[in-house]
Amino acid sequence: MSMSPQHVQEHMMTYLESTECQIIEKSPFHVTVKLSPQADKQLTNRPYYWGFVERTGVEPETLSFTFVFDPEQYDKNEQTHTDPQSQPQQDGILSRYFGTAPMVPRIGPGRIQREDVTYGSSRLQQIWNAARQDGSALYLFEQPAALQRETLFSAAYEPWLGVCFKAEMACDVKKEELHFVGISLVSGRIVSHFPERLKGLTMSPRLPENIHIQPASISLSQAAGSLESYMTRLLAEMDYGWAEQARERLSEELAVIDIYYEDLLKEPDEEKLVGIREQYGNRRSETTWQYEPKVHLSAITCGLFHLRSAR
Amino acid sequence: MNTSQISGSGQSQDLPVPLHIDRSWLEQLNNRLEKGGPWGDWRLAQLAIQGEEARLVTSFDELQCLKHLQGLSPLPHQLDTAHKVLFEMSGRAILADEVGLGKTIEAGMILKEYMIRGLVSKVLILVPASLVLQWVRELSSKFGIPAVAQKKAYTWHSDVVVASIDTAKRDPHKEFLLKQEYDMLIIDEAHKLKNKKTTNYQFIQKLRKKYCLLLTATPVQNDMSELFNLITLLKPGQLGRQGDFATNFVVGKRQPKNQDQLKDELAKVMIRNRRGEGPVHFTKRNVSNVSLQLSPEEQALYDGVTAFVKDQYKASGGNLSSMLSLVTLQREVCSSRDAVFLTLVNLSKKIPDESPLTAKVWELVTAIKAIKANTKAEKTIELIKQMNEKVIVFTEYRATQEYLLQYFQTHGLICVPYRGGMNRGKKDWMMDLFRGRAQVMIATEAGGEGINLQFCHHMINFDLPWNPMRVEQRIGRVHRLGQQKDVQIYNLSTSGTIEEHILHLLHEKINMFEMVIGGLDVILERFEKQESLEKSLYKLFLESDSNDEIRQKVSTLGQTLDQIKRQVDYESETVREEEA
Repeated sequence: MSMSPQHVQEHMMTYLESTECQIIEKSPFHVTVKLSPQADKQLTNRPYYWGFVERTGVEPETLSFTFVFDPEQYDKNEQTHTDPQSQPQQDGILSRYFGTAPMVPRIGPGRIQREDVTYGSSRLQQIWNAARQDGSALYLFEQPAALQRETLFSAAYEPWLGVCFKAEMACDVKKEELHFVGISLVSGRIVSHFPERLKGLTMSPRLPENIHIQPASISLSQAAGSLESYMTRLLAEMDYGWAEQARERLSEELAVIDIYYEDLLKEPDEEKLVGIREQYGNRRSETTWQYEPKVHLSAITCGLFHLRSAR
Repeated sequence: MNTSQISGSGQSQDLPVPLHIDRSWLEQLNNRLEKGGPWGDWRLAQLAIQGEEARLVTSFDELQCLKHLQGLSPLPHQLDTAHKVLFEMSGRAILADEVGLGKTIEAGMILKEYMIRGLVSKVLILVPASLVLQWVRELSSKFGIPAVAQKKAYTWHSDVVVASIDTAKRDPHKEFLLKQEYDMLIIDEAHKLKNKKTTNYQFIQKLRKKYCLLLTATPVQNDMSELFNLITLLKPGQLGRQGDFATNFVVGKRQPKNQDQLKDELAKVMIRNRRGEGPVHFTKRNVSNVSLQLSPEEQALYDGVTAFVKDQYKASGGNLSSMLSLVTLQREVCSSRDAVFLTLVNLSKKIPDESPLTAKVWELVTAIKAIKANTKAEKTIELIKQMNEKVIVFTEYRATQEYLLQYFQTHGLICVPYRGGMNRGKKDWMMDLFRGRAQVMIATEAGGEGINLQFCHHMINFDLPWNPMRVEQRIGRVHRLGQQKDVQIYNLSTSGTIEEHILHLLHEKINMFEMVIGGLDVILERFEKQESLEKSLYKLFLESDSNDEIRQKVSTLGQTLDQIKRQVDYESETVREEEA
């Protein structure tokens, strides 16, 4: 899957807004932003500066960026907007001999660095990773409609454990799957597409008024265990043709190695033989490392979701 | 990991492969519940999930890296190669494309793909010292891979390290590296690992690696066993045991047998794309040799220098090593009086005042003073004005470069210099100026890295290096992938001088200007088993008495080179890829 510039911009804006950055200017092709301290720490890789700020207590000066999502359109726009008169004058003598010399860039605070952000750029990866870090554990409540606050009866809320799992099927090649599943701590019911259960709901960390939370009948670790066995069953039902093929490749490779070392291992010189044995063992274990099929299951995010009980 | 907390946990025996479950999320969740937070932002969590979805690898065998690489449009053969290495060769291969087809691009794509798939994070790239920075730069600019050049001991801890193999194999680095596990090892100029007994070879053999790429333009330099050794480094046993290989595939030292079978076996571990095959199109090289007649004053200087150098050589009893500065003089006299002058001045400083040599040196200086014009420079201006396009002028000498800069400028040409000694920033600036306003670039350096001048298709060899590799490097600056037009090469040579013979050897005998030589380095390496070509040439000139004698000797030299070339051609046919 690739992403359009608009899509990239949406992702970037979500991050900038959630981290409370100050948006200075925005067009369909770019955004100019002064980072919040949180975003600055996550994005600019200036641990020494932030160490200095924390130790001395000075007012931090965060960096500003112009993130450009559609460089072609942005440049076109810029050109039509900038007045040629405002271009700084070149030194006549220098430019006569040396052509157009690049202007010395403005440095120091107040300088706004331009950066093109597209699907493959490391900045986008960085933002996703930062988001994963910041959104790794959640504790959320469904926000009730305005009507609920006025009714006499408090609404029953059901606690759910939701986990977004990432399954990685790896041998010498690799494939991945995401599964966002949820389990009710009251009933133990498992929902395989948890986002569908959350669809249309507004989630917030604030505890709403006039609600009560139903007591859990299963513990968090029990719930986690159930989700895990659910995932394991799901994974067990996959087609494992890929793994079989990988094992075939592995055994072929190992056979080739065995034949190669067969004669060498008859080496009469004990000292040399030690070296050959070691080499042989290393080569075999390297090959196993390369081809052996395996599945790895980890979580992107998880949390407790308090949702209004379905009647 | 805290398995104990999980009750009724699913066991991995349900799956036909080992299942690793990372339960750190539960631990984290419990921790925060105990402390009452801090809790994550729901929007960020959703963004994280969307991010994962956007880069999810949904297929085992579909190239992902291209959509991550803006501004890189790989050529069809490079794509094919990446695809084959990733999905047919399981990431262990020899990339043996001929020079200039972009092995680095192929390796970069393969590496990027593995990194995107999360199969590779720790990478070691070993290259000759002179290429370390170039690799770092290419990986970061073309592939967005944050590679680090190895400088201090701690840089070894970075995820992607580029280092020189000669540093890596020495302690204390070696000891550290042998304890590591590398997801991927890339070795550039891998033909240097042809000998099993060298420390380089043994070091690489011991390094623990999952995927491995060996890059070389010349997988076979001298004999077939080199290829066997290279493959053994990658996949021991692929060509059978050492003995089997010899009986099955080798007749003479350099002659394979059972070619078809060998090709099949090789195709499993090695990819060799060749120039002139498939969709890769190189434009033509058009060569014009411009023969010039020296003015009487210049001729006088030339004769004077030649006589002086020969006398000194005889006086030294044929000892070449003490003659180097004088040999330089002999070469410079073909370039410009300025170059000769500088060397003469330096020479006179070294001779004691009372020595009879001083008089001779001053005699030559007087001859220099008599020269009013530079025949070659005049011709060069004429050529440049005729073509009226961008052109790069190569000279071997700094003094000539300075002279030409000044001479061209007084004739209203905008020109920029380019030298090996310039720092990176200045080099880049000069390139930009040349791309922009300047019509002429005057360069003393062709080797090394970084000058890619595809936008220019005229080059003038103001003087010729005596080492054919340097000539090829010069041409390679303009005649490379991305050059849209036929390349015009002008060689200036003055008749009746050494230059004429050198040009004759390079052009007529090894035909190096027209054919695109990938194997020139191989030819030279074989020839130079006894003595370097440059040295052979010095001797030849110093020891010959007449022009005819020189001509004859040069012609013999040419024949020898030609023979080696045929041999190399024949051999490379056999390691050629089968589909070709």
